[in-house]
Order: sequence, then structure tokens, then C-alpha cells
Amino acid sequence: MTWETFIYFAIPSVILWAAGAYFAFRDKRKLALTLTITGILVFAAYIAGIWISLERPPLRTMGETRLWYSFFLPVAGLMTYLRWKYKWILSFSTILAFVFILINIFKPEIHNKTLMPALQSPWFAPHVIIYMFSYAVLGAATVIGLYFLIRKNDKNFTESIMHLIDNLVYVGTAFLTIGMLIGAVWAKDAWGHYWSWDPKETWAAATWLSYLIFIHYRNHKPKNLRNALYVLVFSFILLQVCWYGINYLPSAQGVSIHTYSLD
Amino acid sequence: MWKHPWGYKEGFTISAGLVLTGILLQLTTGAVNTDFLQFPVNVFLGGLYIIFIVVLSFISNKNTSIRWLSGMTASITSISAFLFLVLIMGLTRQSGVHDNSGILGVLGFKNMLSSWSFVLVFIYMMSVLALVTLRRLKHFRWKKDIPFLLNHLGLFITLFAAVLGNADMHRYQMVVGSENPEWRATEDSGKIIEMDLAIELNDFTIDEYPPKLMLIDNHSGKTLPEKQPVTLLIEKAPTAGSLLDWDVSISNVLENAAPVVGRDSVHFVEFHSEGAAAAVYVTAANRKSGKQAAGWVSSGSFLFPYHALKLDEKVSIVMPDREPKRFASDVNVFTKDGKNIHSVIEVNKPLKVNGWKIYQISYDERMGKWSNISKFELVKDPWIGWVYAGIILMISGAIGLFVTGKTACENKGEND
Ligand code: HEM
Repeated sequence: MTWETFIYFAIPSVILWAAGAYFAFRDKRKLALTLTITGILVFAAYIAGIWISLERPPLRTMGETRLWYSFFLPVAGLMTYLRWKYKWILSFSTILAFVFILINIFKPEIHNKTLMPALQSPWFAPHVIIYMFSYAVLGAATVIGLYFLIRKNDKNFTESIMHLIDNLVYVGTAFLTIGMLIGAVWAKDAWGHYWSWDPKETWAAATWLSYLIFIHYRNHKPKNLRNALYVLVFSFILLQVCWYGINYLPSAQGVSIHTYSLD
Repeated sequence: MWKHPWGYKEGFTISAGLVLTGILLQLTTGAVNTDFLQFPVNVFLGGLYIIFIVVLSFISNKNTSIRWLSGMTASITSISAFLFLVLIMGLTRQSGVHDNSGILGVLGFKNMLSSWSFVLVFIYMMSVLALVTLRRLKHFRWKKDIPFLLNHLGLFITLFAAVLGNADMHRYQMVVGSENPEWRATEDSGKIIEMDLAIELNDFTIDEYPPKLMLIDNHSGKTLPEKQPVTLLIEKAPTAGSLLDWDVSISNVLENAAPVVGRDSVHFVEFHSEGAAAAVYVTAANRKSGKQAAGWVSSGSFLFPYHALKLDEKVSIVMPDREPKRFASDVNVFTKDGKNIHSVIEVNKPLKVNGWKIYQISYDERMGKWSNISKFELVKDPWIGWVYAGIILMISGAIGLFVTGKTACENKGEND
């Protein structure tokens, strides 16, 4: 399995997901579920294959994290669909996943086998996978929130959509918290301290705090949707900075231990 | 403003007031130094703080302003203020040492962790968190309030233990050679400390990844493409692959080799002593221009220079320094109380001895795999148990958040 074979798994997955999304709209639940799950399995097979051929978990490069992201979006969509039965959620998750798949097809980042000793830890895979799942769920919440901000006043939409966004943010923040804490425990084992305020950690803290503000604000002012949605979008921007934006931030150049250089 | 009930305006004003106070303190007294918070001072002050918060919590029944501190607006505004400072920290390169240059330096924001504004806002947020938690504890309802308690108490314990434990944490570096057991370690400041344990290095090993080839520009010396070079990992010989427009085949791989300089060429032979370098024999052909080249490429070592193969006017093929896959030290650790422990220490696998954790951090990088010294970090962190306790509570709380979702907490809203 190599990066070149990606397209032969990704395209069938997207087609299966799109078909699933279509049947969800037509209220054919069983068919929607079957197709979506098959798509997820096809995609999972690719991840498993590249994992084996790289002889390490594919979690190191940007392209590899995007791989997980496009895997978890349909998973999160499916869970939301099963639990809250929104017909359109599968379309959302499919489109988002497709965007990330396209990026990986047209701009794959260099993949090689090497993995720094610091990354060779049983904490590595759960830490990154949980984070990517959380990013996917929070991404879905943000897209729905943006759509909602733009459509403005659609009264019968309001209640149930806001409820969905809240639930997604709860799930996303729960995973964000767990991912961050696993990272802390790992850091203690790898370099002796659980929190060093390295740029990546600083932005992770900022992102987390921002989602806390959203959760508490929703609890405090449940009727003030607009402000809450602004906080939601702002939080997601911070998340982008934390994920890859710090690679471009002057304040973070050359100081992050999370670039995993050895010096 | 300032008429009860207080709202966001008052909340943000208080936070801004704290930031400003912090700035004034920074300008008059300089940065915060928390070194004095060592045992037993930290336990004493921490105890006082807890008593203070509990007393505040009891008065809050009678005093509206104090009661406000345990409410939602105080919470949200204090978290926002803290977020604001964390964002400044994320956008400003942190110097780690005293740095007064520029306006941000004067305000203390280039070393945010020891700036007064950060310390004050942090203590404020932590106190609000404590008061919030105590308030809920006062009329605690089993089951319903458990996720709340796990999240909030867990965060409080983590923050509290992290702050109080910070000055009690000791980190020293120890460089151990192959001759004698080493008792001395150095502090960050460079001060040398005699430890109550010694490390003897029996053996230091590095496993390396297979050699890699990549292209560089002959004039600039930069990799091609810049910053994201294409690479070819050579796991077995013979093998073939491609680098950009070049088809490359490798007919011979010597893990341990030395160069033999001939009259007009260099070739490599097996060499099994200290300083040996990896070398491969490469044949390359350009798919577009048809140009061909062949010769040895080596990463070099501390003993031998690297050896590149020039492909054409623009491009050469090189072997970068090999990446370590694993490095490990086989050691004996002696303690003053008479222990003698034989163990292997490697990255991500520290050794625990008498309250110390010994981490493998580095080696003599100039010597690479021939390094005969090993660098360790010795860390003592007596409060770590409390931090982990808080972390476990928070993880349980997060699982609660995930399982119950939004429906769990009744959406009262609009109260204080
Ligand atoms: C681990 C981080 C935190 C998480 C996951 C979290 C989560 C929550 C959730 C889900 C609720 C509403 C559910 C319920 O009422 O049971 C809540 C309520 C609340 N939180 Fe937090 N929170 C966190 C940190 C904080 C902090 C740092 C503060 C204050 C500085 C705070 C202040 C409050 C307050 C005042 C309430 C309302 C309590 C009440 O209605 O009695 N929280 N929190």
C-alpha cells in the first residue's frame, strides 16, 4: 500500500458516502446506514494498509492527520445521524470529508517511514486519533453554525439545530479534553514535564478555553444564539491555528518541541 | 454599572482591572518570582488559600458581590480574560528569560508565565472555579451533579497542584561518559549539584533508520524541493526508485564503510571501526535530458566527510545524516542508601529510582552512533500524584460530558 493507491480507496468511499447521504434524505435509513458504513470500512482498509506498509501509525505528517480527519468526519456524521436522526448531516460530513480527501490527492505531503524516538510511545496513537476525532466533530458543529448564522431567521430550524450544535460541541470538547490530558501524561513520560507552554500547547489551551466559554455561555444565555455562534466560529479558528497554523506563526518558529526535531 | 445584579460589563471591568494592576506591578516591581514557593511554604500558603476560599464561600450567602464570584458571568469573564492572555502568549515569541525589550517586553508579555497580569488573572479564575465548585457542593445532588463535580473539581485540583508543585520540581542534567560512575548533575543555571545517586554507563546504543537519498541544488545547497525534499529510503540492496526526474538505482549498500581516495575518484570499502559511515553506490539517469551519472554517496561521520554525487550542473544527490530510530543506555544506578539497579533507559521509558525519574534525552550528536556519552535528565516532582489525580477526575468528567451530552444539565439559564 502506498500513497499512490489512496485514490482507489478514497473515491469509492466518497461515492458510497454520497449514496448513503442521498438515501438518508429519502428516508431509506437502512440503506443509508449500510452504504455509509461500507464506505467507512473501505477507507479504514486503506488506513490499515498504509499503517502496515509504513510500519508505524500514519499520524506524523499533515497529510496523515488529514487522512484521519476525512475518516472521522463520516464516523461523526453517522453517530449523529443514528442518535439524533438529522437527514442532512450525512451530506455535510461527506462534503467535508471530500474536501480533505481532495487536498490529500492533490497536495499529499511527503510520507516516509521514519519516526522520532520521542514519538514511539503507546500514547502517540490514542493522543492524535482522539484529537482528530474531536476536530472532525467540532468542524461539523462549526459548518452547521456558519450555515445557521448566514440563513439567519429560520424559526422552526432554531431549536433542534442549536440542540445539535450543543451536543456536537459537548462531544468534541470532551474528546479535546481527553486528547489534551493524554498528551500531558505522555509528555511527562517523554520529556519529564506534563505541560511546558510550548506554542502548540499554548494554542491547544487557548482552543480548549474558547470551547469552555461556548459551553458556559450556552448554559447562561440559551436564547442569545448569535453571540454563541460567534464564539463557536472563533473557537474553530483557534483550533486551525493549533492544528497547522502555528507552522506559519512567526512567534512559534523554531521553538516548538512538537516539530519533533532532536536538538 | 456596579448595581447588583452584576453582569458582563462588571465582569470584564474586573478582569481588565486585574490586567492593569498586573501591568502596574510589573512596571514597579518587575517580573514575578515564584521560587519562594518551595516546601513547606507552598503547603502553608496553599492551606491558607483554601481556608480563605472556604470562608469566602460561607460569607457569599450574605454578600452579593462575593456571591457573584461563584456565578456564570464571573466564570465566563474570567475564563475570557485568561484566554486573552494565553492568546497574547501564543502570538508573542516567549523568551524564557527576562526580556524587557519593546512594549511587550516592558509589560512582561515576552515571558508571560512570570508576568503579574497572567498570575493575577490566573489566581482570579482559579478562585472563581473554587467558589463555583464549593457552591454546588453545598447543595450537592447525587448523580445529577457528578459530571459537574468531576470536571470542575478535577480542573481545580490539577491547576492547584501544578502551581504549588512547580517550585518543588527539580530538573537536572547529567552527562555520563563510559569511564566512571557520575554523581554530579547540572542545574539550568549551570550550577553543579552532587546527587544522592550515581549513573554508570555500561553501553550506549543507537539504532538508525536505513540510509536515505535526496537531491540538493549545487549552488544554494538547499534541498529539492526546498523544505519538503523528496527522499528515497534504502532498505535493501539492490533497489531502485526515483527522485523528481531522476531514475535512481542502488547496487551496493555498505552500512559501515570508509572512503578510499584514488587518483581521480573516491570509492568506499567495508570498515568496521569507530567512525565508519554508511555509503551506497548509485546509478542515476534523467528521464528528460537522458543524462547519466554513477558513483558513491555517503553521509559521512565525525571522522569522514560526507560524499555527494554530482548528477549535472544543477543537481547533486546526497545522503543526509541518518535518523536515529531508538537510542538507549544500559546503566547501573547506585544510590547513597545502598541500591544498585541495572536497567536500560530509553526515550519514553524513564527509570524510577528513589523519587527521581531518569530520562534519556540525548548523546554526543557530533559523534552520532559512535557517541560514547549519554545525556540524562533527572526529574523529581513530588506533586505529580495530585496532578494525575486531577487529570483522572477530568478524564472521567469528559467521559461524562460525552455520554450525557447537553441534556444532562438542566438549561436554567439567565441566572446570576
Ligand atoms: C474542565 C473544564 C470545564 C468543563 C468541562 C465545564 C463544564 C461545565 C458544564 C458542562 C456545565 C453545565 C452542566 C451542569 O450544570 O452540570 C458547567 C457549569 C458551570 N461551570 Fe463549568 N466547566 C469547566 C470549567 C469551568 C471553569 C474554569 C469555571 C469558572 C471559572 C466554570 C464555571 C461554571 C459555572 C459557574 C457553571 C454553572 C453552575 C451552576 O449552574 O450551578 N466551569 N460547566
